[in-house]
Amino acid sequence: MKFWLIRLLSVVVAVFGCIGVQLAANSQSDYIQRLLILAGLYVTLSVSLNLINGITGQFSIGHAAFYQVGAYLAGFLSVHFFHTSNLPPLVWLVVTMLAAAAGAAIAGFVVGLPSLRLRGDYLAIVTLGFGEIIRIQVQNTPALGGSYGLNVEPKVKSIALVWLLAVLCIAICRNLLKTASGLPFLAVREDEVASSAMGVNVTRAKVTAFVLGSAFAGAAGALLASYEGFITPATFGMDVSFIILTMVVLGGTGSITGSIFSAIFLTLLPEYLRSLKSPSGGPLTLTGGTVVGWMVAVIVTVAILRFVYEDGGRPKSKRLVMAVGAIVVGVVVQFVASLAFNKIGALHDKQIVIGQLRMVIFAITLIVLMLLRPQGVFAHHEFSWDWVGRIFGKTKEATA
Amino acid sequence: MSLLSLEGATIRFGGLVAVNSVSFDLNKGDLFGLIGPNGAGKTTCFNLITGVYKPTSGTILFQGKSIGGTPSNKIAAHGIARTFQNIRLFKALSVLENVVVGGYLRHNTGLFSALAYLPSSINETKRLKAEAMELLRVVNLSHVADVRSADLSYGMQRRLEIARAMATQPELLLLDEPAAGMNPLEKEELLTMVKKIRDDHGMTVLLIEHDMRFVMNLCERIVVLDHGEEIAQGPPSAIRNDPKVIAAYLGEAV
Repeated sequence: MKFWLIRLLSVVVAVFGCIGVQLAANSQSDYIQRLLILAGLYVTLSVSLNLINGITGQFSIGHAAFYQVGAYLAGFLSVHFFHTSNLPPLVWLVVTMLAAAAGAAIAGFVVGLPSLRLRGDYLAIVTLGFGEIIRIQVQNTPALGGSYGLNVEPKVKSIALVWLLAVLCIAICRNLLKTASGLPFLAVREDEVASSAMGVNVTRAKVTAFVLGSAFAGAAGALLASYEGFITPATFGMDVSFIILTMVVLGGTGSITGSIFSAIFLTLLPEYLRSLKSPSGGPLTLTGGTVVGWMVAVIVTVAILRFVYEDGGRPKSKRLVMAVGAIVVGVVVQFVASLAFNKIGALHDKQIVIGQLRMVIFAITLIVLMLLRPQGVFAHHEFSWDWVGRIFGKTKEATA
Repeated sequence: MSLLSLEGATIRFGGLVAVNSVSFDLNKGDLFGLIGPNGAGKTTCFNLITGVYKPTSGTILFQGKSIGGTPSNKIAAHGIARTFQNIRLFKALSVLENVVVGGYLRHNTGLFSALAYLPSSINETKRLKAEAMELLRVVNLSHVADVRSADLSYGMQRRLEIARAMATQPELLLLDEPAAGMNPLEKEELLTMVKKIRDDHGMTVLLIEHDMRFVMNLCERIVVLDHGEEIAQGPPSAIRNDPKVIAAYLGEAV
């Protein structure tokens, strides 16, 4: 009884939380709303890819293909059947989401069943190939608009639905890991021969993960189609697959928490850099010397940090002090190097708008994070209240 | 009827005959040893029994049913579990989780109830964890249940592999060099443990081992392989004095 009460309560909290987000966002600009929607979609995409890549250990790099299958299926259905259905747009969106999820799941099954007998890089190549096949096929199908794209009616912007899907995806992955039913997936990631000897049906585990992951990507595609109102094959290129993969790896392969945070972080980072303002009000502009100074400082800091953390022999507290030291050194180096480089006339006169460097900074951030923490920010860890407790417990000890 | 019987089991890899027409019978409750010099085909024999390889010819009967070439996971469901010579634990998983994977074969809930986190799935998980904990007590690992299995010592990892195999509740347990890398004290403990597994849990045990003292003390019957061929079979006392076995291990007098 208590169990069902808590369950009901958590569902209600999730639903009203998402509706709350929507209500709060309604007064914001279109730009903020767009960021919220993209962040939610990327959370769904990265958490669902994490189920395939991280939890089951199958290296798929064609996730955008399933996103595309969902988007086009939903778009096609809307174009042809929305007018005769007499459904309100929001209800219709839910219907197309379900259809898109089913369609992408079938695509996942069809691709997965034969190709999941492959491992590692071979599977990666097959999924990459599948992604391209779908994109090029759509590009050459007049009924789907070809490379001109497809206009999708009705256009619905529902931040609540986007985040509900994300929450549902997170909840399902978390539930899987909380029960014994998730263990066969993890076992397959760790050792296929041993899992098979323990009675785990390896192919079934892989295909199940693939189908589930694809279904969520498909549903996300339906949401994208109805939000944008217009989809083209170019929206689902290889770069989208790689961005999703980057989110999974950066967050820590296998960690749901990591996927969520890095999806939000990587969606917002370029936009944040784009919006940087200088104190006088215009876009933030630095001289060439200062930019070079920052680059030197980052290199120096990363080198010191790597040196500090590579040697596992030092006690934790000492490493922490040294890490703080490395950052202080970095700031000093930045200051000195900027002064020095700005003495060079050409560098001093060159004005650089930081917003234009956003993808460079994005790439550097990835490189730095991978150098310092190759296992991903969260590694295999998940968020839990115990964990929060332990962090606070530790800080209490430290202050006492 | 014997529990497991190999009749002329043979496997070729190209021109190499790794296991050549090997036949032996295991009865329920046997402690059976499989020995031979390096490269004799012992592990290949295990791989044939557990479905990793399909025999080129010959039959393998388990409880009267032919299992040659059946997929590994189905063979595990039929009641044969094994450990591996080169330890194959699920490294990133905890000790307890490793054993639960073995027990998962007997879970009764579907995927949907797990995804929806229904009480049936939660209870099933609790049950499997409790059972796994019992098995960890049998192999003296209950105090490290939450440790990552890769962080265990070598001897502990070997014992964990045995617990994981036992979790599938097999009729027949195949142990591939369970004492390898253990010190004499650990070997002594393992000896009593394997006997207990047979006596208390009613499992039949077939094991590969290089430590002759260990095998001779533990096993009631032994098969000796050399270059894929069966060269002797019988109780330890007979094997110890068999001239062919001595020749295979020590070389012939010139």
